[in-house]
Amino acid sequence: MQPDAAILELRGFAYTYLEGTPRASEAVRDVSFRIHRGERVGIVGATQSGKSTVIDSFAHLLRLKPGQIFYKGEDVAAPTHNRGRLRREIGIVFQQPDSQIIEDVVGADVAFGPTAAGLSAGETRERVEESLNTLGLPYEDYRLRYVHALSGGQRRRVAIAGVLAMHTPVLVLDEPMAGLDPRGRKELLELLVKLQRDRELTLIVCSASLTDASLLCDRFIVLDRGTVVMDGPVREILRQADRLAELDITLPEAVVGAREMHKLFPDFPTDLLTEDELESELLTRLGTA
Amino acid sequence: MLELQRNVIFGQFVETGSFIHRMDARVKIAATSVLIVASFLIDDFPGFAVVLPLLIVIGVVSRIPLGYVLRGSRIFLAFLVFILTFQVLFYAGDVPESSYLWRWGILSVSTEGLYTAGILALRVLLLYYVTTMLMLTTSLVDLTNGLELIFGPLQRLRVPVNELVLVFVIAIKFVPIFIEEMERLARAQTARGVPFDEGGAITTARRLGRLLVPIFISGFARADTLTIAMNTRSYRGGRYRTKLRQMRASPSDWLSLALVTLWILVAWMV
Repeated sequence: MQPDAAILELRGFAYTYLEGTPRASEAVRDVSFRIHRGERVGIVGATQSGKSTVIDSFAHLLRLKPGQIFYKGEDVAAPTHNRGRLRREIGIVFQQPDSQIIEDVVGADVAFGPTAAGLSAGETRERVEESLNTLGLPYEDYRLRYVHALSGGQRRRVAIAGVLAMHTPVLVLDEPMAGLDPRGRKELLELLVKLQRDRELTLIVCSASLTDASLLCDRFIVLDRGTVVMDGPVREILRQADRLAELDITLPEAVVGAREMHKLFPDFPTDLLTEDELESELLTRLGTA
Repeated sequence: MLELQRNVIFGQFVETGSFIHRMDARVKIAATSVLIVASFLIDDFPGFAVVLPLLIVIGVVSRIPLGYVLRGSRIFLAFLVFILTFQVLFYAGDVPESSYLWRWGILSVSTEGLYTAGILALRVLLLYYVTTMLMLTTSLVDLTNGLELIFGPLQRLRVPVNELVLVFVIAIKFVPIFIEEMERLARAQTARGVPFDEGGAITTARRLGRLLVPIFISGFARADTLTIAMNTRSYRGGRYRTKLRQMRASPSDWLSLALVTLWILVAWMV
């Protein structure tokens, strides 16, 4: 592998569900991008923009045609490609955590991945303990609890723990903040930032809202009706706030405020990530006025 | 990757805008009933041979690709073959010694057994084909309205027609939803290392079995949500409900029904 080679690459990816039947529906028309090791990328777009299909393609969860999806430079749809290994290296947390919880008991579920990957009982136990503790579900307290007796937020954390326990170099999250209360969001956000740094993860977050994604990612890939319409550093994308709003993408609150100010002061920037940045920008204006 | 929706089309509706799609739902239900009755009445091969062209006509006019129907019936057909094998091997009717083709203990293959199994297969296939065609060509709204109108008079006898039809329609509607749900679960579990896309039919079937508990749980949750949604919109069945769209059968609809009935009568006489 060359040093600048992408860890994940999509080349003219197109996908139609139930292709060749009367119920065929086109989800992705033409998507190309490269993601490098250690990047923090947000894939954003309104509903029906093809986000989930793109995510599913990473781990070959669709009927892919060859020549479109490459992991570490290898075509994942090639018949010789090892899908098991691919799925042990790309961890996906789905939008509905319930769908990926396999076992009834928390500990057993988090252990599922490591066990399937052939780890010893001792190693598996360590991974389960570490993952549950990391997610704020103390191992001793939670390992024997029934998954279905937990709250929605807790189940989401169990689902994330199950993926974390796999120690995948690539972590993909589909709408990770959906259904979480403000405190849960803040905690998960901090946790993901820390995890990404400590484990040098390649982090891919999929969302229709930029509020959390802008604090989590360095780069945005914006999808609209199955094609890439913008791709670049977060601040560069936020500068085109009007276009994002047109695409029905929820903007961060600081950007919403900045857009209002922009109407009054045409040179007011919209690439603000936090309210603090908005505040200091406003204060400078007041100072000069 | 597994695409169950390709292999099970039961309960699906495919809009092609054909003549059959536009027909009055009541007439379609009546014609389907005639064909269902025919599947019981007709008891020899020539009879079914007469019905076959009618089925082809229905298929062609509906503009639903035959390949799609066949592929979507694979699981059903496999099951049918499985059942019929037993029917032949354990045939218990009167069999003269001369018509045994093969015998081993209680297992046997006889011309009588094959004949009965053949007729049975044709009956089940006819039944399956006409009901599948009805659902492929009729939206659930039309199906509900049609059934309610047909059985409406029974309400005077205090038969809860509305509720019964509702239960029936919801039951059908849940089949494709469950299939979709299973696909979603299978995909999510594949991502976690249960390779649904590897291994033979039996391995896959066993893996699908593991999805039954989560499917049941989500099914109950869905039913719960549906109940609440209906209650908040003040649903009550029975004669209080009126129709926004009145159904009207055109002369060509009646003509089609007459044609089907006549065709079946001929097939029965043969």
